[in-house]
Amino acid sequence: MSTSTPTPSVVPAKTSPGWQRKLGHLVGPLVLLGPPGVWLLLLLVVPTLLILQLSLIPGIRPGQPMDSFGLGNYLNIFQPVYLQVIWRSVFFALGSTVLTLLLGFPVAYWIALMAPKRWQNLLLVSFVLPLWTSSLLRAYAWITILRPTGVLNSFLSTLGLPTLDLLNRSGAVFIGMSYSFLPYMVLVLYASLEKLDRRLLEAAADLGASAPQTFWKVTVPQTLPGIAAGCLLVFIASLGDFVVPELLGGASSMTVSRLIYNQFLGATRNWGLGSSLSMVLILAVSISIALLIRYGDRDPENFS
Amino acid sequence: MNTRKPRFYLGRSPRIASTRRGFLQLSAAALSGAVLSNCARNLADVSSEDSTSGSAAADGGTLNVYSWANYSDQELLDSFQAKTGIEVVVDTYDSNETMLAKMQAGGGSAYSIIYPSDYMVTQMIESDMLTPLDKSRLVGLENLRAQWQDPVYDPGSAHSVAATWGTTGFVYNPDNLGTTLTGWDYFWENGGSLNRQITLLNDVREVMGGVLHSLGYSYNSEDPAELEEAYNRLVELKPAIANFITNGWEDQVSSGDVLVSMAYSVDALSLVEENPDMEYVIPETGSSLWTDAMVIPKSAPNPDAAYEWLNFLLVPENAASLVGRLKFATPNEVAYDQLSDELKADTKLFPPQDLLDRCEGIAPVSEEATELYDQYWTQLTST
Repeated sequence: MSTSTPTPSVVPAKTSPGWQRKLGHLVGPLVLLGPPGVWLLLLLVVPTLLILQLSLIPGIRPGQPMDSFGLGNYLNIFQPVYLQVIWRSVFFALGSTVLTLLLGFPVAYWIALMAPKRWQNLLLVSFVLPLWTSSLLRAYAWITILRPTGVLNSFLSTLGLPTLDLLNRSGAVFIGMSYSFLPYMVLVLYASLEKLDRRLLEAAADLGASAPQTFWKVTVPQTLPGIAAGCLLVFIASLGDFVVPELLGGASSMTVSRLIYNQFLGATRNWGLGSSLSMVLILAVSISIALLIRYGDRDPENFS
Repeated sequence: MNTRKPRFYLGRSPRIASTRRGFLQLSAAALSGAVLSNCARNLADVSSEDSTSGSAAADGGTLNVYSWANYSDQELLDSFQAKTGIEVVVDTYDSNETMLAKMQAGGGSAYSIIYPSDYMVTQMIESDMLTPLDKSRLVGLENLRAQWQDPVYDPGSAHSVAATWGTTGFVYNPDNLGTTLTGWDYFWENGGSLNRQITLLNDVREVMGGVLHSLGYSYNSEDPAELEEAYNRLVELKPAIANFITNGWEDQVSSGDVLVSMAYSVDALSLVEENPDMEYVIPETGSSLWTDAMVIPKSAPNPDAAYEWLNFLLVPENAASLVGRLKFATPNEVAYDQLSDELKADTKLFPPQDLLDRCEGIAPVSEEATELYDQYWTQLTST
């Protein structure tokens, strides 16, 4: 007895209430995301687009009209002297990444797994505390330590040891950069190590694994996303670092950031080349961030 | 039962990009288009910075000065404010090119007085960045020595008033170094033993020019062969160079980390006064003779205060007391006469005429030569 009188069971498209409802749904996100969104737009997206535009005008200098477009600035980067500078930046970044990993992993391991639970937060905060001071001041502090007549050499000479000639060389840059970015690495590694399932360690011990075997075969694979995230974070930060190579590096440690600085504020005033170098740096950092998102965010359980 | 799927107008219409990805793509494209098309003329072409906004500011109370680091002290600013009631704020830079870049990028629109060096004055005049001075408003221009009333870099002193002049030489501690330094040759004779213990200025014209001059060429040479020779000499010297630094070498050379620092006479003599162990020497082959002049940029917001500043510094007593405190040489003849005999006899501050004859001023060079200088400088500092 289905009185199948075809009733229009569909609700006719009511545009007004649907439209208002949609808008109502938008208000919440807009209010929360609006201010930072506008901030990001004006201070990050728009300047990057302007730099992109500058980089597409070969050899532009300030005061010149922006008429001809081309890839001359990018092709200009492929000179041996500039490629050497880019390689040096990558070398510094890789070196400080490895150093921070080697130095930071023991610290994070100790704080996460071996320190008393009550002190964990305090220890972590105290390790991050140097970040509260300006990175410029910390770099200057390293000058005071590493100079030929500085703290380190005074200490060594009172002990009768030979003095070290570290400042104004690559060594000082590695030390300065590792020091600057160590807190980041420790924080990321701590977050990853804290999620480590202790029962896995117990199970490994039960199955007869020695401590080093447990470490290499259980702990490290489980924290691999955290290690990847920390390494990529430090790599990204040190690739574009200006302060440490400028203050500690001396005359033979030109990096990409210093080169860009020289193009914009130095005698050459080649804004075209500076912009194209900036875009290359942004590209390198973007690739690193893509790698970070791909490999750094995984839940350990997703590892096969 | 007829249950037709309700068709709400909610995210299925193909007319607008209604998925999140589509929306983001559309907005990115629209934004890029808008930004890039609107900024067609804006970014690099800022030499014609609008001065209308500048002159509209009726700020009689503040004067912003953009100057080198050691050219003013609190006493000067206080006495200026006591006399005219205008408050002065001084920002500093350490190289002419940095100042030029900031001015051309539009970041210098707050400054009413700038202190460019001689060759930079010429460059700024050619770029149409300076206002011609109204001589009727200036009092005391005739106190300057003749060569600065009609200088080479600014004929008739139409755009600038010479403020200071000096030389570029070396600061060192004779006890640390072991010998007396006479000039550039010391570095190449002893380069092997100087392991990153000298600093040079972070200025392409001063460093390249100094080496050119020591080889017997001109500071303003445009000959590629001469430039290459100077560049090779510098590359030879590279292991001995700790850093290219214009301001901030004082601590390093005082403590002995660095044995010799290249420095402007102003900074050097200030240090020598504080630390009598240090000594300033002008290379015997001659150095660069620089002049820093006060100019009023076209974008100056307070030209009246700027003229007050110029007149204040042209008064001989003010210039003389400033020389006594800050140790730069003044082009003001009457002020020079008022200096103490000790200052007048200071051969580092006022070098004897025969040494001045061997010095040379830095002048702008052609664009091809500038490119060549830049190329050598980039290679020198990047390797």
